[in-house]
Amino acid sequence: MSLLKINDLRCHYLTDVATVKAVNGISFKIEEGEILGIVGESGSGKTTVALGIMGLLPENTAISGEIFYRDELISSLPESEIDKFRWKDIAIVFQNSLEVLNPVMKVGVQVTEPMIKHLDINPENARSKCEDLFRTVGLDPEWMDSYPHQLSGGMRQRVLLAMALSCDPKLLLLDEVTSALDAFTRKEIRDLLVELQKKNGYTMLMISHDITFISSVASRIAVMYSGRVVETGPVRDILVSPRHPYTRGLVHSTPDIFVYKDLWGIPGDVPTGDEFKGCPFSTRCTQKIDICKKASPVLTPTGGGREIACHRGGIADILVARNLNFSYRLPNRKYLHAVNNVSLEVTEGEVLAIVGQTGSGKSTLAHILANVIRPESGEVLFMGGNVSEEHYGSRFNGIQIVFQDPFSSTSNRFTVLDAVKEPLYINKIGSNEDRLQMVKNVLELVRLPSSDNFLRKYCGELSGGQRQRVALARAMVMEPKLLIADEITSALDVSTSANVLRLLKGLQNKRGFAMIYISHDLSLTLKIADRIAVMDSGKIVEVGNSHDVMLSPSDEYTKKLVGSRIGLCCHTHQAV
Amino acid sequence: MEKDRNSFIFRFLSTLFVILAINFFLPRMMPGDPFSTTSADEVGEEIIVMTEEQRLYYMKYYGLDRPLYEQFSKYMKNLITGDLGRSIYYKMPVRDVIWLHLPWTMLIVMGATAISTISGVVLGTVSAKNRKKGSDRVIMTGMIAFAEIPSFLLGLILLLIFSVYFRLFPLAGAVTPFANYNGPAEQAWDILYHAFLPVLTLSLSQLTGVYLLTRNTLITVTTKDYIRTARAKGMGEKTVWVRHALRNALLPVVTRTGFMIGIMMGGVVLVESVFSYPGIGMTLRSAVINRDYPLIQGILLVIAVSILICNMLVDKIYGKLDPRVRI
Repeated sequence: MSLLKINDLRCHYLTDVATVKAVNGISFKIEEGEILGIVGESGSGKTTVALGIMGLLPENTAISGEIFYRDELISSLPESEIDKFRWKDIAIVFQNSLEVLNPVMKVGVQVTEPMIKHLDINPENARSKCEDLFRTVGLDPEWMDSYPHQLSGGMRQRVLLAMALSCDPKLLLLDEVTSALDAFTRKEIRDLLVELQKKNGYTMLMISHDITFISSVASRIAVMYSGRVVETGPVRDILVSPRHPYTRGLVHSTPDIFVYKDLWGIPGDVPTGDEFKGCPFSTRCTQKIDICKKASPVLTPTGGGREIACHRGGIADILVARNLNFSYRLPNRKYLHAVNNVSLEVTEGEVLAIVGQTGSGKSTLAHILANVIRPESGEVLFMGGNVSEEHYGSRFNGIQIVFQDPFSSTSNRFTVLDAVKEPLYINKIGSNEDRLQMVKNVLELVRLPSSDNFLRKYCGELSGGQRQRVALARAMVMEPKLLIADEITSALDVSTSANVLRLLKGLQNKRGFAMIYISHDLSLTLKIADRIAVMDSGKIVEVGNSHDVMLSPSDEYTKKLVGSRIGLCCHTHQAV
Repeated sequence: MEKDRNSFIFRFLSTLFVILAINFFLPRMMPGDPFSTTSADEVGEEIIVMTEEQRLYYMKYYGLDRPLYEQFSKYMKNLITGDLGRSIYYKMPVRDVIWLHLPWTMLIVMGATAISTISGVVLGTVSAKNRKKGSDRVIMTGMIAFAEIPSFLLGLILLLIFSVYFRLFPLAGAVTPFANYNGPAEQAWDILYHAFLPVLTLSLSQLTGVYLLTRNTLITVTTKDYIRTARAKGMGEKTVWVRHALRNALLPVVTRTGFMIGIMMGGVVLVESVFSYPGIGMTLRSAVINRDYPLIQGILLVIAVSILICNMLVDKIYGKLDPRVRI
């Protein structure tokens, strides 16, 4: 018997203007002693779930579905009946705000009030119990006689916690308990919760947008998006290998997990309007297919205690390479095995970095993947089709590659217009006017001027940074689903390379294409990569999340590579 | 704390001085003087039309021929010793005149304050609890209809219906003339009987304000997070409404009650006139008509000081009720 069971809960707020489907068909269970964390960005319906369990939703809410507490259906009880469960069985720690406590009542009175009501004890006993509670949550009992406005945010949060614990509830709901607190207080509250759980075995439902906080306390996570659960599973699994594109976006935009990476949110917004029938994430998803716009996926188990709601079964592979081999024949008739039995996958919308020192075979691998050269053995599949047969380079939504040296990849004698238009021209796409318009659009995209004056310039007249952008524009004009960037910043100075890199990552984030970023510069790579593959002597020696590879490299070569970065010396040299 | 009290006293005194100055100069800026009355106020009233010689004599007698600044400084000096001057019309000390009439005004103003506040809060709570339902709509419509009738007109209507047509209540006065009471209970009954209509009129004129304020504040308060917190604690509807919602919603009502007493002290002039109720309002009216400067000054002073005291009291009480404004 689960402590709490929710079946197909729907909470729709009916306003004069529109219906807001805050919670749209979610089901989950919480077993006794378990800590379940619900994460999701603001507006995903997390708090509505908590309020729904407590029976606290406003009157203009249409509620359907069932909520069971120990096999007792509590969702259809009248207000007076729910009061029996409130606080004694299910209590909630609200998010700290100035008005969450009654401003004209002493906090001690507000904590003792439910004890007197539910536990049938006299005010003196309640008061002494309140003193104990205050000590438990780390507050001096002296504060019992103060008013809410006299306390700091952290103290108020502790009072709220003491209040929730006052009647020894079986199930504790925690709604964004740390989001308004500073890092120190947040840590203290976290430790307090962990300790309380260990000591008293509370069953908890934690709700937060703070995935770091949730994952440090909870044992299981449910990810909510637009009123639905899109993925659930054990904490570690979800963090290390998120399967839903939204979960991945959430994990990737968490600075505590990706310490070195630049912050990029998930682009786009939640669809509004109640007539939308498709997958709510489809408007922001990089791997949507036709069905995503028509029907909403249901949560299905995928093994290992994980469940996912995605028509494509989670994040799909866009490119799969298997057992690639390639050798160069050297002048001394020996063969250099540049790519040695390499297999890798690139998933939809991700940035995979391939790092390694010069001569490790990175560029050769890139050229094979882009079908510039053919492998001796092995195959490369792009969205299910074979790269060597399907000519993805000459199609829209295919594969494009940007090379290291813009001075040789774009001809000096081409005008900007000709250089960018070239792929359209070769592949006979569009009329001349169409092409001109596409070129102008793509130049704006890479933040180059689209004036006639600039279009007539020869590439030879441009600076390195501008020329690399022209090369980028030429790739982008084909709207690739996969962009291979081969050392594109190594020929540029620091500032220009920073600009180009930010532009590239910005484009990737906005357009949602997948990218293979090839570089020997580890620091730069960490700024944009989701995953890193380390190459040495034609082999991939380590693949993993960029922070894992960086913080805890397992391969010897990777350790060397990480260690070889020249750090900036900030300590003062001591005089001898 | 000490500093706060000092600034409090300073504010009180400076406000009082400004009021006194206006009090003094305003009657003197009106055309005419106490001795040039030429028409009677009521039929049969004897009036003395003075000759120019007599008028000048009296002007001199009351010191009204002196320059204004001299009169003003004398007025201030007398005030400090508690002397409000002599009424020209009643020919007795102003203090005694006020003392004679003030209790009646106090009676109906306090009565009306209590009645309108209590019933306003009760009706407002009923309305807020049944928001957008039948009872709320009915009360609301009735209240707003009342609010549009000026108090003296309302008084006239009540007087016509209850005193003239149904003869349920007296037409004038605060007590039955030349009555012999058998004990204080009967006397109290007679006083209440006479005060009923004026109090009702004043109450009704203020009721809508209190009602609307209570209703709207309660509706706002019930959307606050702490009400949700109280509900979550399973405290029950009654506790949620009374202990958590009403306690907070009453804060602005307290402030309003303070102002209301001030407004009523002014409004009472018209209501007392309608019911010929012998309070200071009626006295003020006759004092104005007769250009009885010392009496006008005295009454306005009493009204001003009582408003000031009410505001100070409200500040004090509010501080007791709302810990956030306590220093």
